[in-house]
Amino acid sequence: MNATIAAGAVRTATPPSFGSNLATVAQRELREAVRSRWFVLYTLAFAVLGLGVSYVSAAGSGGSGLAGFGRTTAGLINLVLLIVPLMALTAGAASIASDRERGMLAYLLAQPVSRIELLLGKYLGLAAALFASLCVGFGVCAAVLSFKGEGTRVASLVWLIGLSMGLALSTLSVGVLLSVLARKASAAVGAAVFLWLTLVFVTDLGLMAGTVAMRLRVEQLLALSLVNPLQVFKMWSLHAVDANLDVLGPAGLYASEEFGGRLHAIFGLCLALWSVVPLAVAAAVFSRRSPV
Amino acid sequence: MSTRLSILIVAVGLSPALPCAAEPDPHTAAPAKRQAAAGPVNTGVIGMRIAAARDGDTVEIGPGIYREHIRIDRSIRLVGRGGPVIDGGGSGDIIEIVAPGVVLRGFTIRGTGIDLDQENAAVRATAAGAVIEDNTLEDVLFGIDLREAPGSVVRGNRIGGKKLDIARRGDGLRLWRCDGALIENNTVHDGRDSILWYSKGITVRGNTGRDCRYGLHLMFSDGVTIENNLFANNSVGIYLMYTSGVNISGNTLYRNRGPSGYGIGLKETDRFTVTGNRISANRVGVYIDGSPFTAAQPGDFHRNTIAYNDIGFTFLPSARNNELYENNFIDNIDQVSVAGRGSLEANRFWKGERGNYWSDYTGYDQNGDGVGDFIHESWTLFENMVDREPKLRLFLFSPAQQAVEFVGRALPSVRPEPKFIDEVPLMRPVPLPADVYASTPSAASLGALAVGLLLSGGAIVGAAGGRFGGPK
Repeated sequence: MNATIAAGAVRTATPPSFGSNLATVAQRELREAVRSRWFVLYTLAFAVLGLGVSYVSAAGSGGSGLAGFGRTTAGLINLVLLIVPLMALTAGAASIASDRERGMLAYLLAQPVSRIELLLGKYLGLAAALFASLCVGFGVCAAVLSFKGEGTRVASLVWLIGLSMGLALSTLSVGVLLSVLARKASAAVGAAVFLWLTLVFVTDLGLMAGTVAMRLRVEQLLALSLVNPLQVFKMWSLHAVDANLDVLGPAGLYASEEFGGRLHAIFGLCLALWSVVPLAVAAAVFSRRSPV
Repeated sequence: MSTRLSILIVAVGLSPALPCAAEPDPHTAAPAKRQAAAGPVNTGVIGMRIAAARDGDTVEIGPGIYREHIRIDRSIRLVGRGGPVIDGGGSGDIIEIVAPGVVLRGFTIRGTGIDLDQENAAVRATAAGAVIEDNTLEDVLFGIDLREAPGSVVRGNRIGGKKLDIARRGDGLRLWRCDGALIENNTVHDGRDSILWYSKGITVRGNTGRDCRYGLHLMFSDGVTIENNLFANNSVGIYLMYTSGVNISGNTLYRNRGPSGYGIGLKETDRFTVTGNRISANRVGVYIDGSPFTAAQPGDFHRNTIAYNDIGFTFLPSARNNELYENNFIDNIDQVSVAGRGSLEANRFWKGERGNYWSDYTGYDQNGDGVGDFIHESWTLFENMVDREPKLRLFLFSPAQQAVEFVGRALPSVRPEPKFIDEVPLMRPVPLPADVYASTPSAASLGALAVGLLLSGGAIVGAAGGRFGGPK
């Protein structure tokens, strides 16, 4: 792999452009990821669980052929909420930290590659790997659903896939930030798992308790839940699939009535912020820190 | 904003109370007094033909657009040939029937006024035995308004309301003291309600109501048959109040949502049978408030399919003596709920040896008799919490919800009391004819999507130079 970079550097007298550097680093990262154990493991886990969810939910409709917001979509949303952040956070967390630990980082930075290029390239490469993994997982689900003749609308599934990728981008960005901050790969991954647990369970359970104990008003509850990218993903999926959030009770009804069509923009902005801000912070820190 | 918000919260919190709150007091809500129609009546072509006719004549009207207001004051048959249009020009009522036994058939009637106080209607009948058939009503405030017109027939009409704000709309169909009327194969859309007042022995069959407030609303109308209708995308599908002797069968109730959002609502209704209905994707599938009203006959719900609603059945604590059996409860987010902190003990979820099919039943059937070997107990900690604090619905579909459920299963000390028990749950759903709203088979496009996804996944991996290939 280093041969590619070295060859490029030798061929051209001037340093290679930003774009080509980015592509080279991203491709290297993607290749590493695809060959790694976590990628295979997560892809397999997502595909198998997705298969289970699709199969069970398709069987559960009892052949009534009734249309509605079904168990399939709900099950898939749940699955994505569990697995995609775990994948993206740990993958991001391992990226820079493990390179640094192995001394690879110093070596890479000795090439005509800037730190920003390296960071962004790694991010893009990992994102591509995650997309590939999601494509395979959802592909298996779609195959099962089409085989079982389940009445899932294609548009819903496409929305769900797109939004899952958005969620992957957000949480990957946070993972990369952890990786830049941590001294050791194990610490970074540990922090990522802890953060995953927090985002998936702790914040929601805390918010539940807060709702009951502190009598949060609906707009407070909604604002607080918009902080969590997982909740944003969930609400956005429901909004896109069902075009109505009243299934989420008073807070959802409030969101629908108050914001209506602007919800797409709001949810999109939340996920975009989660993708951009941690990555920008990571870049700022990374460009100042010593690579070893 | 906060006022609006608090109203919203109150509206949601009190949603069971809404339908009654939205209703005028039945004893003061008699139809508005007749006023003179806007503009002159029976001065146009059709009006002069009517004036020249005698009882028993058939008056045929050819194609064309007739801009006039009509009063049919003799027992004639007024028949349109070739699709004549009667245009009210956006003012007043359009056709008024004051003689018994009038037949009105084959017209397009459009453009009433928008005066809610005057209740501008496309067709208003105030005499017995009117037959209103195969007309198309467009852009009307009230569609067909029958007042003390017993034995009337409303059949095959298409009634399209004005697309006004719901508070400014009129009723697509209204009957007031019309015993023995037949409402058949009509389509009502974009109106306020289709409402029947004080009318005995009515049959409502094969109609479609969509995008209205109440698909069908009955008040004090005993002995009614409601069968094979479709009510979709209304705020409420079928709502019965203070009515006795009701047969609701074979209807489809789909996606009736909004702050009330009931498929079927029964308020202080008595002697009713609800069977063979498909109730799906509503906010609440069936809503029961104080029904059955007397102990004369248990409330009978059987062989309905209740699927994919936010809540399958909602019982108010006042509801008792209902029997639910051989129904299919499929994937409602909350299968059965009790508003407030009531209990369901006074209702039964089986009859004889047959219970209901519950998609969340976890038992099995070793002796193969189609009935589960274990009772179906419904208690979930999360549902219990949501019943108390509806705001927690925000956490539906999240892993946190499942964590709560897990805790509920693992720790009996926090487990709520079972909400209800079905002693003889069915293992398989009771078959029903296919739903008209079943989504079209999308197997091919899903298959294409699957192939596309797998290929793009492969392409990305390929771009990396393959899992095992590429330069080392």
